[in-house]
Amino acid sequence: MTDILKFSVPGKPEYVGTVRLAISSLANCAGFDIEAVEDIKVAVSEACTNVVCHGKPNREETYEVACEVGEGRITISVVDRAGGYDIAKYQRPAIDMDNPKQGGLGIFIIKALMDEVDIFSELGMGTSIKMVKYLSRF
Amino acid sequence: MSLQMQSNYNNELEQWELKAKGEVDISTAPKLREYLDGAYQERRADIRLYLDELNYIDSTGLGVIIGAFGRMQETENRITLINPKDNIRKLLSITSLDRILCSDN
Repeated sequence: MTDILKFSVPGKPEYVGTVRLAISSLANCAGFDIEAVEDIKVAVSEACTNVVCHGKPNREETYEVACEVGEGRITISVVDRAGGYDIAKYQRPAIDMDNPKQGGLGIFIIKALMDEVDIFSELGMGTSIKMVKYLSRF
Repeated sequence: MSLQMQSNYNNELEQWELKAKGEVDISTAPKLREYLDGAYQERRADIRLYLDELNYIDSTGLGVIIGAFGRMQETENRITLINPKDNIRKLLSITSLDRILCSDN
């Protein structure tokens, strides 16, 4: 038995914090510990930031954050219609310490913090980032 | 969801001491950039950024710090992050930024 919650969010920077707060509350209620809640919070925030940063200029479309809670895990999908991008450019496995760059950290961080991450992007259309975190077994 | 910044130049140690309180994300990262760049432009010196009361940072905030780090290399000045909380320390560790930005590494 799972529950599904959906948020429709305007693609503006000031609402990323609102999504972060809602998701951390949800993850907390679902039984995740503090560290896992922090991981989920950062990962979702990074996905939303990606939408806001890479969206089409002068077009503030809404994007959707869908959360599925239950069966020992939380699944979060962030789906936009912001035009998509070339995923291959963001497959950087490590950070070059001699020449650290400002961009490209978001996806790297999401993959490090979540148990499963699937990214689909179609140029001219949009992007979907699906992230899963499992409740740790005691 | 806000960020408060404090900035002070320590004449004795000849370094900037900045404090960040609250959260740094895409909506507050410009304020962090403004304070870091403002300090360095006013006086070329090392910056110690105190994070004791910073609860959250993500890649946009880390990007601002990396940008400052890069610009300060011209004059061989350093930016050092002091007392990051565990959640922020984890992020610095997975991105390996702790190696260049934290004093205890």
